[in-house]
Amino acid sequence: MVDDSVLREQLHRAGYIADEALATTLWLAGELHRPLLLEGDAGVGKTALAIALAQSQGRRLVRLQCHEGLDLAQAAYEWNYGRQLLAIRLHETDTDRVKESDLFARDYLLERPLLQAIASEQPCVLLIDEIDRADEAFEAFLLEVLADWQITVPELGTLKARHVPLTLLTSNGTRELSDALRRRCLYHWLDYPTLAREIAIVRQTLPDAESALVEQAVAFVQRLRREDLGKTPGVAETLDWVRALHRLGKPALPDDPEALTVTLGCLLKTREDRFQFGPEQIRRVLEGHRTGVAEAKAA
Amino acid sequence: MPAQAEPLQAIAGFAALLREHGLQVGIPEQQAMVQAALALPLRRTRQLDAAWRAIACHDARAWRRWPDLFQRYWHPDQLKGSARVSGQTRPTRDLRQLVRSLHETLGENAPGQRGQRSAMDTALDTPGGEPDDTGAPRAQGGASRTEALHDKSLSEWLPQDLGQLEQLAERIAQRLRRRLTRRWRDHPRGHRLDLRRTLRASLRTGGLPLAPAWRQPRRERPRLFILVDVSRSMETHAQLFLRIARAFVQAAQARVFVFHTRLAEVTPLLQRDSATVQEKVNAVTAGFGGGTRIATSLADFHRVHARSQLGRRARVWVLSDGFDADPPEQLAEELAAVRSRGARIVWFHPAPAPPASGAMQRAAPQVSRFLRLNSLGDLAQAATALQ
Repeated sequence: MVDDSVLREQLHRAGYIADEALATTLWLAGELHRPLLLEGDAGVGKTALAIALAQSQGRRLVRLQCHEGLDLAQAAYEWNYGRQLLAIRLHETDTDRVKESDLFARDYLLERPLLQAIASEQPCVLLIDEIDRADEAFEAFLLEVLADWQITVPELGTLKARHVPLTLLTSNGTRELSDALRRRCLYHWLDYPTLAREIAIVRQTLPDAESALVEQAVAFVQRLRREDLGKTPGVAETLDWVRALHRLGKPALPDDPEALTVTLGCLLKTREDRFQFGPEQIRRVLEGHRTGVAEAKAA
Repeated sequence: MPAQAEPLQAIAGFAALLREHGLQVGIPEQQAMVQAALALPLRRTRQLDAAWRAIACHDARAWRRWPDLFQRYWHPDQLKGSARVSGQTRPTRDLRQLVRSLHETLGENAPGQRGQRSAMDTALDTPGGEPDDTGAPRAQGGASRTEALHDKSLSEWLPQDLGQLEQLAERIAQRLRRRLTRRWRDHPRGHRLDLRRTLRASLRTGGLPLAPAWRQPRRERPRLFILVDVSRSMETHAQLFLRIARAFVQAAQARVFVFHTRLAEVTPLLQRDSATVQEKVNAVTAGFGGGTRIATSLADFHRVHARSQLGRRARVWVLSDGFDADPPEQLAEELAAVRSRGARIVWFHPAPAPPASGAMQRAAPQVSRFLRLNSLGDLAQAATALQ
């Protein structure tokens, strides 16, 4: 794995602005062959990091989206029963009947994301997304994969990874993860980006948007996050909002709270927050953003 | 002591400090920390902070604590507003120097590397529980910091001490016994055949049920309701009872109500990580007026707010001193009504003895347990009684 400053540069080119600590952690994960557990509020860019990492390293991204009831057959491997039956039928009339060992060969094995990552010929990035949604039993199964980088298929034996995949796990904290899993992983808490970093992210993603608009809108969102909201807007929401304002042809953030109200649906996504945030509150946050813009310029 | 063990001792001392503050740092983590220090080139020693943080922290709570602990151990001189521990001199540890000597002694180019590896292991093993001489503040005269915090009355707490409370709440929530329900869930080792799914799955094997699907009854955690008395007589305790309630909102999705003359639900206020919780709770209860009407509040609780959720799975915790302005027999009636729905009631009281007012004496048979709650130690003791 490359040096972390190089990695940071590569991530930047792939459209992800990482801070120094995150780059160091990613580098360490590659160096120590340990999975990295990412936690943080929704919309801070946990999944985006994995995608950018794969792109920046020129590796394939193997993604496992977790959900309740996720089992081995969906996550690791499954025998292709249909094909096995078909093979038996096709060879029924042959003089040399099909042998059982033929049926349990790699040809009849359907590789699901975990096995794909383990068996991959080329180094890849494995993203286990929203691990907190999977059951505890599945978490226990993951321990073998993440500690020894191997999967045991009883009919075939143990398959060891050729290249240890760079593994990222994300969690939104809907369920407490087990200590065993946590201790096998490196840990990083992704926070909302700082003002300067968020401006850089928006500029990177929306290069066409006017500079003044980006600075003012990001300063507004940063102030909004300090308010007591039910659901704090993430980076994805900022991007949506700036995109919306840009499409509406605004060169800068309008001063009139009424004009902003129509687009605030991009940022405030619960009824309570919308209700709480009337024109008066918008004006208050708007007035604060000017100082924020000055800060941004300084940064 | 061999010279090469010194940096390892410093790391072990750091790990001991982290453990003392509730971080789970064992031998594997310490070894990973040494590996990280060796893997980082000397010029990037500054990044050791981030690298070690990723190794030693396993959850958000530890993550938030890290900067302070790191600073306290490696750069105590830069720490603002920190109290000096009397009788101890703590020189600044030079992280750069430490990494350099680590590289020299254990680095890949160092001679006799293998032998020194084992030195690394023993150095990490032995002082696991005890920091070095100049390490973190040690226990003196038989009392350690943790114990002091343990016995501290809840009303004397500082916000940063609350991490321990969160952990305790989680532990208690885990202990609450799961109750059997009438619903079934899929389970690979269940004992009842799920005929519909088995048949469905057999389609892909040409109708042969090769992979039967099983079910077993679902067990669910108890539903927790916490009722906090915020009347004048409880003024000194209410704020901290609310903190405890908040820990359970986060650990066990409890529903929390506050009452004195009336009852109001405050769960949504406690779900958010906001510094203004107390102000908001005050705002909710501002119009309530003086006096405490526990019975009326309880009636409101089981008739209106928790009407559909009070069942065998419900646990109702009342945090109150038991001084009630309602007619004395009414409290017993209302508690009996809650009890008759199948809920189990636990009464927490701040005083050493259970409340002995007339109303409480009549109501006592309806309460499964009376538990004292005035310090973290009390809550830890209560943990064994709460099921």
